[in-house]
Amino acid sequence: MFNRVVWSSCFLLLCALTKSAQAQPFSAFVFDAQGRPVEGAVLSLAGQAQGKPVAVAVMDQIDKQFSPAVLAVATGTAVSFPNGDDIRHQVYSFSPAKRFELRLYEGTPSEPVIFDRPGLVVLGCNIHDWMLGYVYITDDPWFAVSDEQGRIQLDVPAGQYPSTLWHPALVDMPPIQAGRLEVGAAPIELKLPIAIAAALQPSAPPPTPFADAFRKAAHDAHP
Amino acid sequence: MTRTLSFHARLSWILAAFLLVVIGALYFSVRLVTEAAVSRQAAERLDSGLRVFERLIDIRSRQLRDGVQVLVADFGFKEAVATGDTLTLQSAMANQAARINASEAMLIGLDGRVLASSLSNAVPGDTFRYAAELRDARGQGPTLLIVVLDQQAHLLVEAEVRAPLPIARVVMGFAMDEALAQELKELTGLDVSFLAKAEGNSEQLATTLKSEAHTELIDGWSRHEHANGIEELTLDCERYLNEDVVLSQGDGYSVIALAHSSLDDALAGFHQLDMRILLITLVGLIASLLGALMLARSLSGPVNALAQAAQRVGRGDYHTPIELDRDDELGSLAKALNQMQRGIAEREQLIAHNMLHDDVTGLPNRSLAAELLSRAVEAGRITAVLHIGIGNLDAVQDSGGSEGVDQALRELTQRLQAGLQPGDHLARMLSDEFLLIVSDTSADNAFSAAVAVQQALALPVRVAELEMRIEAHIGVAGYPDDAGSVDELLRRARIAMQDAAQMPDGLQLYQHGRDDAHQRQISLIRDLRHAANGGGLHLHFQPKVDLEHGRVYQAEALLRWNHPIYGLVSPGEFIPLAERTGSIQLLTAWVIEAVLRQLHIWNGRGLYMEVSLNISAEDLSSLTLEQRVTELLQRYVIPGDQLVFEITESAMMRDPERALTMLHRLRALGIRLSVDDFGTGFSSLAQLRRMPVQELKIDQSFIRELDDTCGDAVIVRSTIDMSHALGLKVVAEGVEHGETRDLLRAWGCDTLQGYFFSRPLPADAFEAWLKQQPHLAARPLKEPS
Repeated sequence: MFNRVVWSSCFLLLCALTKSAQAQPFSAFVFDAQGRPVEGAVLSLAGQAQGKPVAVAVMDQIDKQFSPAVLAVATGTAVSFPNGDDIRHQVYSFSPAKRFELRLYEGTPSEPVIFDRPGLVVLGCNIHDWMLGYVYITDDPWFAVSDEQGRIQLDVPAGQYPSTLWHPALVDMPPIQAGRLEVGAAPIELKLPIAIAAALQPSAPPPTPFADAFRKAAHDAHP
Repeated sequence: MTRTLSFHARLSWILAAFLLVVIGALYFSVRLVTEAAVSRQAAERLDSGLRVFERLIDIRSRQLRDGVQVLVADFGFKEAVATGDTLTLQSAMANQAARINASEAMLIGLDGRVLASSLSNAVPGDTFRYAAELRDARGQGPTLLIVVLDQQAHLLVEAEVRAPLPIARVVMGFAMDEALAQELKELTGLDVSFLAKAEGNSEQLATTLKSEAHTELIDGWSRHEHANGIEELTLDCERYLNEDVVLSQGDGYSVIALAHSSLDDALAGFHQLDMRILLITLVGLIASLLGALMLARSLSGPVNALAQAAQRVGRGDYHTPIELDRDDELGSLAKALNQMQRGIAEREQLIAHNMLHDDVTGLPNRSLAAELLSRAVEAGRITAVLHIGIGNLDAVQDSGGSEGVDQALRELTQRLQAGLQPGDHLARMLSDEFLLIVSDTSADNAFSAAVAVQQALALPVRVAELEMRIEAHIGVAGYPDDAGSVDELLRRARIAMQDAAQMPDGLQLYQHGRDDAHQRQISLIRDLRHAANGGGLHLHFQPKVDLEHGRVYQAEALLRWNHPIYGLVSPGEFIPLAERTGSIQLLTAWVIEAVLRQLHIWNGRGLYMEVSLNISAEDLSSLTLEQRVTELLQRYVIPGDQLVFEITESAMMRDPERALTMLHRLRALGIRLSVDDFGTGFSSLAQLRRMPVQELKIDQSFIRELDDTCGDAVIVRSTIDMSHALGLKVVAEGVEHGETRDLLRAWGCDTLQGYFFSRPLPADAFEAWLKQQPHLAARPLKEPS
């Protein structure tokens, strides 16, 4: 079932890509049940798209947080996990869509990870428990993640597209079928059925005196 | 009963009772305080025990949670959960559970379904019984839940398996069983119970208490209200303070922790204290009893000694001092008693001296003199006594007063004492009588001593600037010649002294028989009082002859006394005695009535008589004489002029004013008044003129031996003349011879009386005599005058 949807979505994306010449910018805004703008929401539009999907995406780790928090990629995209921090990370995922483990590394690991099945992959770091990241793998040709204002920008040819909306708050649920969207000049407002209270990513725990002592010792050793 | 208790027994009892009350109060207050303290302590122990308990549960649950955290943080474990590697999961959980002393371990999915479990009643696939409770407990700090599993309380902790989002939960726990309770007991020293209640099951108990107490605890606990208070329960015959904490209470289950503090155990320590207090009480009681006994004895001993001393003093022993060497109150009491004893001894001596001595002269008194004499009599020694009477002490009294008398007596005493021979004693018997006891001397030989005494006393005594001559008369009597006893000796010496007063030289040896006369006088005096009623009195009548008419119509009533022992007693003997002893009024009253009775008889027979009778000075001074006479005159219907009262001059002159009043009253009754024994006194006719007298009776001492030539004749004759000149009739009594009658008749005397005519005769003899003397017949009853 899912596969069929994926496949039909791929078809639609390809169609869209083929009509890329006519593609034009399109904005949508995502709000939660309480009308607040929602960041990190993924909107995907099914269709036939022209052009090649982006082959490599990047999920960086900055300040012991995944960046971006939510990464939407097309199926088959290789995602590289550079390490922007000066400490090691060990990124893993037990999600069925992609199970992998990047052993303790610094900088960029030698091989990017190819997400070859659509679905949701929850990323964690075995060293920093609070680190949380999401890779949304979709077969749809058009997709984007909302920014802090809840705005999603896509370059999509005008027309009507079946849409899918997802947010990390819906982690236990399948993506919402948002219906057919009329893509035109006017921006579209989308509404999530739930209120988003938590931050997208848990923040790092406050530094303990223990950690402070370590950092100070390290700093003294290498001024 | 209590009255018979001795002082020291009472003191001991009071002290003991007091001490008992004090110690009892102390004992019970200590008991109360210790009970309260023990209860409070037990309660505090319970509180602190429960805090320790909570802390321990907290620590254990932290350990558990930490252990679970370690497990869920393990990457391999996460991987196993994520991949659904059940065998690996189970072994990993078992390993970790063993590491952290958890007895139960479970993996449940996010939906509450059991994924893996060590519990028999939580099969994989089932929804965990407490999934909802765990979810509710989540988010409030560490997830900690106490539940009932397998009818036993369990403490459960839960941790999420994050990868990095939660994918499952690990639940681990341990049973709150007897082992845990025991551990808690070792830490807190309290018995601990966990009570698990689950729906459909009875309460289950895990406890350190003995199994016998289980049912009692469950019953007792369910009976009581549990407002988080401390309550007392008796479990298996032991008292416990209990506090309970509801550890958890949920849908259909609850777990309660109970801490038990044994009161009996806590009190056991104080039982020793109780025993000691009891011991101290007993020892204190006995010691105080002994102390009280000793104190009382130390008090009662001296008190008894003092009491004995007081008894000794009471018996008259004043010379045994009280030996009590103490400085306290008893010592001063003993001193005071000693002083009192001395004071009593001195005063008694003084009293004894005063009792036996005269206070004016300091001489032995009558008692001591008798005592001295009795000693001599007992020893059979010849002894003479000189009874010395002072005749004119009244004159001394008049001149110098009592002080003068005392002064005179003291001077006389000095003179008498100056002449005392060794062995002689001088004593003062009465105010004016002294006694000189001359030892080893007969009365005759003592006479010379009497003379010496009289000479010594004859020197004038100076009283109040006056020189007075003392008249002393001394009677002498001797033992054994004159008397056989002390009383007799003293009496006879006194009789001798009274006789000496009559002697010109004032000295008299006791005359044998004098005492008998004296005794007769005494009995006469005694019997006179009863003579008027006793029937011993009789009247004799002596005729009085009227010379003018040569007739007898007058008589003198003369009293005669027939004494039951002595026979007839002459008036010359008993009348002076009656006058001296105050019996004369009785006699006079009797005479008046007897005369009137006789006159009543005679008047009845037509025999007219005028009867004269003697009235004494005492009768005159009696205020009732006139009244009595009036009554009697009326009773016997006798006119007053048939009575003549003969009154001596001296009687009239003793109290002239009073006598005058009485004489006038008597005169008013018609009674004629006659001056008796005229010539023996010193009264003058001029004085007599003032008295309402009609008659004058010349004393028989002038008449008896009257003859023409003697001096008395002049007196008699001139008296008759002068009396007539004053309008008085003259009676001469004691006419014994015819010559006397003739002389008196020649001189004009009015009436004669005497043995020449007749001696005094009883009434019937008198009547008979009158009949034999026709020429002297009484004049008719009513003679016109």
